[in-house]
Amino acid sequence: MFEKILIANRGEIALRVIRAAREMGIKTVAVHSTADVDAMHVRMADESVCIGPPSSTDSYLSVPAIIAACEITGAQAVHPGYGFLSENANFVQALEDHEITFIGPTAAHIRMMGDKITAKDTMKKLGVPCVPGSDGGVPTLEDARKVADEMGFPVIIKATAGGGGKGMKLAETADDLEMAFKTARSEGKVNFGNDEVYIEKYLGKPRHIEVQVFGDGKGTAVHLGERDCSLQRRHQKVFEEAPGPCITPELRAQIGKVCSDAVAGIDYIGAGTIEFLYEDGEFYFIEMNTRLQVEHPVTEAVFGVDLVREQIRVAEGLPMSFTQDDLEVSGHSIEIRINAEKLPNFSPCPGKITQYHAPGGLGVRMDSALYDGYSIPPYYDSLIGKLIVTGRDRPEALARLNRALGELIVDGVDTTIPLFNALLEEPDIHTGDYDIHWLERWLDKNMG
Amino acid sequence: MTKKSHENDVAFIQALAELLQENDLTELEVMRDYGENDSLNVRVSRAKEVVTQVAAAPMAAVPVAAAPAAAAPAATASEDPAAHPGVVPSPMVGTAYLQAEPGTPAFVKVGDKVEEGQTLLIVEAMKTMNQIPAPHGGTVKRILVEDGAPVEFGAPLMIIE
Repeated sequence: MFEKILIANRGEIALRVIRAAREMGIKTVAVHSTADVDAMHVRMADESVCIGPPSSTDSYLSVPAIIAACEITGAQAVHPGYGFLSENANFVQALEDHEITFIGPTAAHIRMMGDKITAKDTMKKLGVPCVPGSDGGVPTLEDARKVADEMGFPVIIKATAGGGGKGMKLAETADDLEMAFKTARSEGKVNFGNDEVYIEKYLGKPRHIEVQVFGDGKGTAVHLGERDCSLQRRHQKVFEEAPGPCITPELRAQIGKVCSDAVAGIDYIGAGTIEFLYEDGEFYFIEMNTRLQVEHPVTEAVFGVDLVREQIRVAEGLPMSFTQDDLEVSGHSIEIRINAEKLPNFSPCPGKITQYHAPGGLGVRMDSALYDGYSIPPYYDSLIGKLIVTGRDRPEALARLNRALGELIVDGVDTTIPLFNALLEEPDIHTGDYDIHWLERWLDKNMG
Repeated sequence: MTKKSHENDVAFIQALAELLQENDLTELEVMRDYGENDSLNVRVSRAKEVVTQVAAAPMAAVPVAAAPAAAAPAATASEDPAAHPGVVPSPMVGTAYLQAEPGTPAFVKVGDKVEEGQTLLIVEAMKTMNQIPAPHGGTVKRILVEDGAPVEFGAPLMIIE
């Protein structure tokens, strides 16, 4: 049993881990940079250690500093939160060399999933569906036609050496294929000196669906359903929900089993997320995140489990506290990310919080490290809070979100709160009819 | 009391304070009898040196009931060594060692003259011994850490002036 763990992170996620540890009777060590002396995670932990200057490279990302902090405080394990060192295999290796437990997966699994090609190959072997493609170059138009007919139109033809949108041509139907094939080849030749092309299935209106998995490191794994995180701006999620509005219980059970079998097959330990693009009932693997996700609270809400507690348990070598049969979706949960950013350009807005009031009441959870008089330093991420609301169904959750937003006060800096007030006026948000391009299109129209 | 004797008293107290500093004392009490109903009682003291204590300083404002008992004394320090112009701050978090290996003499002791770049102590992080050089030349006035003590980034290690 761990007596003391160190949290190698800051902000709301550091508080999240401290809370779980405290409920388990485990002492906590906060680490902080000189810019975070007054931060809430430093105040809430049992002990704290200043590990470096404001720049995260020399503090939150410094492996020697964090290991030294473990040694001087006697912390037996490290929880990395998300971001920073959470998916750094070298850090995990260094901890192991110093006989400190990493609360997360093994260095080998982090490496495996950190490399896009290895990750895709591994997932394919494990039976996880990937974006159909030609598996290498397509030399002739006849070959291209054969591959495209097999996977069905639309397809996208990409120059092997391409990038930045050059050498990419869409073929909506079989009639477009010849033109697309020739153009992609010549663009590849002109721009990259290589006319080899390959073909992938083109997804026009995909949703971002991710499956939460959890393994005990000994060949047992479960899934905790999906989250729909399609509302994104520049690949940054802003609004996440569980369950996904378009995922049926049958579909959930099916893709969930594929995912839990896959991670069980590699003896994966701890929390992980397998991300997919989803269109017309089909899932296409994008990547696997080998850590706790920012949006994990929506899953906790609908399954009634504490994922951080579970991470700590399996890191100690204990079995998971639930089996697949114990896990049933109940209700609907939505998380919104509140950033210290000024609309419409989302420019970071650090500064002093003159007034902070968190919403409360039934089904409302506010994960934030803000307090009255706190100064948001300019060195780190602009995420300042997550508002998570849960109701018996989606309409109830949305009504609760509207009510909670009305109670929330963050004064002194600009935030993304007005964005969510505006989104709640949109019929598409209420029907759940959106894809990964919806928010960018909406922003162009309403804030462009 | 005349202005003259007031100035004398101030000078006397100042001298006591210097004595305290030079001899690295914690407290000094003197009673002077000038005559009947005319005496001066002076007590000069400073709080025990704040040996860098993990979590001591930031914990002072803890809103939850988790503060270790050690947190309180830090606030009563009469002066902040970290604010001293001659301070040598720790460039990293780790464990301080005042000598190269156990049993050997310390790199420096109070009163030593040191040159810029001369090794003052070692801070160990991840099994690596990092020699901490003097940032400027001068005399070692105070050594603020004990051998084997944990130090945080920026913690005052020594005062050299």
